[in-house]
Amino acid sequence: MTLPSKKLYQKNQQEQISSEFFRQKLKLKNLEVKNSFNEKYPHVKKFFEDKGITLAKLREHSGKVITTGALTSTLLFSPPLLSANIPPITKMIKNLADFTSSPPSVPTQQTLLTSLQQILPQKIGPLDRQQEKTLEQVFQNTIGISTKANLEGEHLNTTYGYIGAEQHLMRYPGDTMATHPKLAEKDEGMAPGRGAWGYFAYSKTEMTKQDVENEKWYAVVQTLYLPDWKSRLNYLRDWYKYRKVLIVNTVNGNAVVADIADSGPAAFTGKHFGGSPEVMNYLGGARYKKGPVVIFFVDDPQNKVPLGPVEYNKMNIPGISLKEA
Amino acid sequence: MSKLFFDHLLSLDKLDHEIKKIAKTQEEREELWVLVDEIIHHKVFHLILDKLPRDNHEEFLEMFHKAPHDEAYLFGYLKEKIGENIEEILRQELGDVTYEILTNTTNGQ
Repeated sequence: MTLPSKKLYQKNQQEQISSEFFRQKLKLKNLEVKNSFNEKYPHVKKFFEDKGITLAKLREHSGKVITTGALTSTLLFSPPLLSANIPPITKMIKNLADFTSSPPSVPTQQTLLTSLQQILPQKIGPLDRQQEKTLEQVFQNTIGISTKANLEGEHLNTTYGYIGAEQHLMRYPGDTMATHPKLAEKDEGMAPGRGAWGYFAYSKTEMTKQDVENEKWYAVVQTLYLPDWKSRLNYLRDWYKYRKVLIVNTVNGNAVVADIADSGPAAFTGKHFGGSPEVMNYLGGARYKKGPVVIFFVDDPQNKVPLGPVEYNKMNIPGISLKEA
Repeated sequence: MSKLFFDHLLSLDKLDHEIKKIAKTQEEREELWVLVDEIIHHKVFHLILDKLPRDNHEEFLEMFHKAPHDEAYLFGYLKEKIGENIEEILRQELGDVTYEILTNTTNGQ
């Protein structure tokens, strides 16, 4: 008979071998693809080398181009999809003031959705400074939360993108779905690994109410693609840890305050953010697995804004469900 | 902020799911993500340059260098020069990457 500890050891060994095997094979595949490309297109390899970039680090290059203000100038090359429909900021704010002083028969959620339609570009992608500043005002006036796209000089990889469903995170060593709270319907289960900042607590007995909330309402953002993530790692890691963000579903207007507790998703998933099962459930219901959202930092120096749903929108708008996106 | 002009064609959730199962730490996960990203970037450029006439390579690379995020600008140029629906071709090719990587890297396959 095999002892339980021996079984566990064997399982861990198998997992390590599997992980190492995968990594080595992936590296090999990576090398094959690179060599094949460089042999066939030496002039392209030279072009990128002369420009000081590599095909491996295209996202860093893109980040630099966009953040150094090149976005504005390159928009001139293409049809102005991003900015064509945006009224001047002053007009937007005036419209917003009209809305907020309008009769209570106009639901705040409708005000928000109308504003989002006017401000957001047709295609999902980075927002410019004007769009972000206008949205900050809109969120303050409709949802009632003070937010910043750029807080203390920090800015997310993007503020308008697709959010995808994530799994529950292990809160402490030994945490399992047997004891972890779960959704009544279509629960995602627990992620095999820990979040970017490890466990929320050292043990079950040391877990605080705040730890429970931090896991329940967590968000995932692409810190790994920030242009300065590696060079400012120590500072940024602390700055982003459990940083509060406001997530707004741009289809139905549902909003939730979440804390950043993991890094991702990988760019090749086509998603830009992730949400815990509870976050996703509030944003769009049990079947909501992916959808467009705006995410801004919550400007909350006194730490007074609680995590969880922002129930500014108690009324259902005909044709737009509060739950299903 | 970072965005590449072909990002809207990417949807390799299955591959990401496998990586999350295999990687035990955040560092390990990010290392594997970067390796996959690199493979994808090379495949995208390989396919585009295969289709694009040689005389247009430098022009396209310059355009990409200036606006790596601008899908309308870059795909507009590619459609004009290639004359095929390059976005659809890329979408299909990138869809196969998951299968290609997983069959190459999974035990017993």
